[in-house]
Amino acid sequence: MTDALRLSALLAHPGNGGLRTIAGPADTEWTGVVVETSEAALPATGDGRLAILIDLPPTRPWQQDALIRRTWDRGFRALAVPHADQFGSGTRALAVRLGLTLLHAERPMLLAKACWQLVEARDSLTLAYVRRVAQSIEYHANGLADLLRHLSSSVGHGVALIDDHGVLLEVGGRLSSEVHAAIDFASWVHLTRVPSGAAASVRVDSPSREGLRLAFFGTGLDERQLSALSVAAEVAMPAVAARILIDEVDEVSDASVSSGVLRDFVDLRGTPDPDVERRMLERGWRTSGYHLGFRIVGRSRVDVLQLLRFVTGELGRIAADSHATTSGRGVSGWLTFSEPPTLEQVGRFVASLREIHVAARRSFNVATGVGSLSNGSAGLTTSLSEAADAGRIAVNRSATGYFVRVDGLGLEQLLLAWTGNDTFVPAAHVILAPLRAGGGELLTTLSTYLDHESAVAPTAVALGLHRNTVAQRIQRAQELLGVDMNDPEARLALHLACRAVR
Amino acid sequence: MPTTLELDRLPALATGFEILGSGGGGSTVMLELALRDSSDWPVTLHGVEELDPSLPCLGAAFVGSTMLLTERLPGVAPFAPLIAAAERWLGHRIPVVCSVEGGGLNGLAPFTLGGDRVLVDADLTGRAVPALDQMSLLVDGVPGVVVTCDTGAGGVALVQTDRAVDIERVVRAATIQAGGAGAMVFSGFTVGDLRRHSVVGNTARALSLGRSFLAHRAGPLAELAASLGGRVLAEGRITEVDADARDQHVATFSIEGSAGEVHRLIARSENLALMTDGLLEAAAPDLIIALDPISRDILEVTDLSRARQVAVIQLAGPAWWSRSPERLRHVLPSAYGLDELDGAA
Repeated sequence: MTDALRLSALLAHPGNGGLRTIAGPADTEWTGVVVETSEAALPATGDGRLAILIDLPPTRPWQQDALIRRTWDRGFRALAVPHADQFGSGTRALAVRLGLTLLHAERPMLLAKACWQLVEARDSLTLAYVRRVAQSIEYHANGLADLLRHLSSSVGHGVALIDDHGVLLEVGGRLSSEVHAAIDFASWVHLTRVPSGAAASVRVDSPSREGLRLAFFGTGLDERQLSALSVAAEVAMPAVAARILIDEVDEVSDASVSSGVLRDFVDLRGTPDPDVERRMLERGWRTSGYHLGFRIVGRSRVDVLQLLRFVTGELGRIAADSHATTSGRGVSGWLTFSEPPTLEQVGRFVASLREIHVAARRSFNVATGVGSLSNGSAGLTTSLSEAADAGRIAVNRSATGYFVRVDGLGLEQLLLAWTGNDTFVPAAHVILAPLRAGGGELLTTLSTYLDHESAVAPTAVALGLHRNTVAQRIQRAQELLGVDMNDPEARLALHLACRAVR
Repeated sequence: MPTTLELDRLPALATGFEILGSGGGGSTVMLELALRDSSDWPVTLHGVEELDPSLPCLGAAFVGSTMLLTERLPGVAPFAPLIAAAERWLGHRIPVVCSVEGGGLNGLAPFTLGGDRVLVDADLTGRAVPALDQMSLLVDGVPGVVVTCDTGAGGVALVQTDRAVDIERVVRAATIQAGGAGAMVFSGFTVGDLRRHSVVGNTARALSLGRSFLAHRAGPLAELAASLGGRVLAEGRITEVDADARDQHVATFSIEGSAGEVHRLIARSENLALMTDGLLEAAAPDLIIALDPISRDILEVTDLSRARQVAVIQLAGPAWWSRSPERLRHVLPSAYGLDELDGAA
């Protein structure tokens, strides 16, 4: 801890009265400060201090030179005056030559107050920060980012919400990675000073998120400012923690509402309903125009809200009107275009959706289906249903990276998708139940046989059996099921049933 | 003992008066050319003590824009109608002539009258000054001074007043009416008045300065300055010329010294002060002379421009001004409306 007054700390002080360096050493510190109306009133011994003059300086170049020189001769090492930015190059050169820091002070009284806070009245500095934090909490914030903006603009320094991986949210500047690396995440309050910046951070006590810290940061802040800011951070922290919780609750309820609206809309299957239309419009969802539906569904259990948060963020990069909401075990969404996009454009949008899918797969075990481009309210329903089907298929399609687009599906896949519904699957189980006896070898053989165009030899090769064994088993299956395998209708039904129970 | 000046002294004399111009006073070239063809040489120059103090005396000078005088040359006998008017007003012939302004082209002006009048080595300023109320006779309040001047188209104005500033204003107005430049004659005083109320021996000083300058012109700058009894104040390049917000005639030349010094040369129609690194080094009534560091030409204020290399030397001003605070008041920078430049020791 030093009593010296650093220029960098003064420049970082939000209430420094518009202080700017005009000429002379920039990385400097002084033993103190003297505030006077004019140069004549300054004490004869400057002792390496900063002189702040309230009166306007002379306008003639030689008088400005003389002012600089006399201030220097008195032993001051810096001079802050109003209108110093109008000093000419000669006067600036003189300041550089003498080693006197020439500062422009828009409002010297404020600068004097800032110096006083830094040198003599640290409690006042702390109190000023705390008061500003209190003021910013007073105003309504729309979300966590908004709250941080309020905090940053009233405190006058950057604010960041960080975890040990990096910055989650920052306002009013950029928290450099060096500062971030120097922050101790274990301690309650930590003051960080590295050459590229400084930060005062405090642990955020949030039940929903572990390991968060709230940091006030800036460049050039000295220990006094940092310790004052750490108190401000401590005061602001509960508000931030509460805000995180409120935002999460908001998010959940918003997602459930929008999910409900979408469900109601899809349930209508294209039948107009003024109430649902109105609720959709309230959410900014247009049913007119052209739509490209998609569904991202969890292959295993996923946090749907987290997934929605991620998808919504990623959708922002796509240059189209997009919407998404939670629906069942996944996220449903669609892109809307007022004009029909060309095939090529659709291709590009699908590629973008695929990028989102790929990105999502880094954190979530998901599969994605994309519907076809459809028009109007009914088209939106269609596209969303197609996307849901495609998503269902994609769950098992490792070959396509768990991404399936309806336009790229075979007919049988569609058919199969429909057979996956609640009525067909139990029926298929009942039909094929007799084959399950004895380890299910008959079922396996039958389905392989059907897959190989009802030919015995390829089936035998595929299963590693003798041809006679295969023929024998098919014969037994026919008998058990009581089906004529020469009937194409029966063969198709059996084939589908085999696929459905697989 | 009177001094006799041969024609070959003219270049030294002219150079000396350019030095005493302190950056103003106008170029001596035209008068030098005119005097070279004069039949009056050799010229005899008398000291004030060598003449009868009761002898009436006159001072002749050009007034107005010195630059204009190099474009619109004065007539054959520019002072004749003015002297005639003064003599008629005073009722007697004026046998003795002195200098009005001892710097710049006016230092040579009395020599144009050397043929039919006695030349006395005295002048009313000892250096170039811009205003007529700065004339020593008026500063000391010598009564009875009469000033005649051109009003244009052969007209003559005569001013007799006890208020010095009126002479400045009326003659200035008449000179503007005469086209911006013209001749002027001071009269109504005697050789005896000059003994106490003028700068005596200034022509001799000009001659001595001029001879030294010409002798050391090619040598090192410091030696040249020392030979004149002065010192080098600055040497460097003009980096900036600031116009003054309050007085359009004031210019501040920033000179970047070879070692990074920040010099400020503050000039009006003459060089008035020089500041180095915020400290005042020289100020009027001292002489501040700007030279071209290579050619050693003596530069007028109007020759100074951005990016020009200059050397600045300082010589002591005429001692007459420093003998009383009242006299000094008329020639300090504050008399020119410049703050914080008085009091260079």
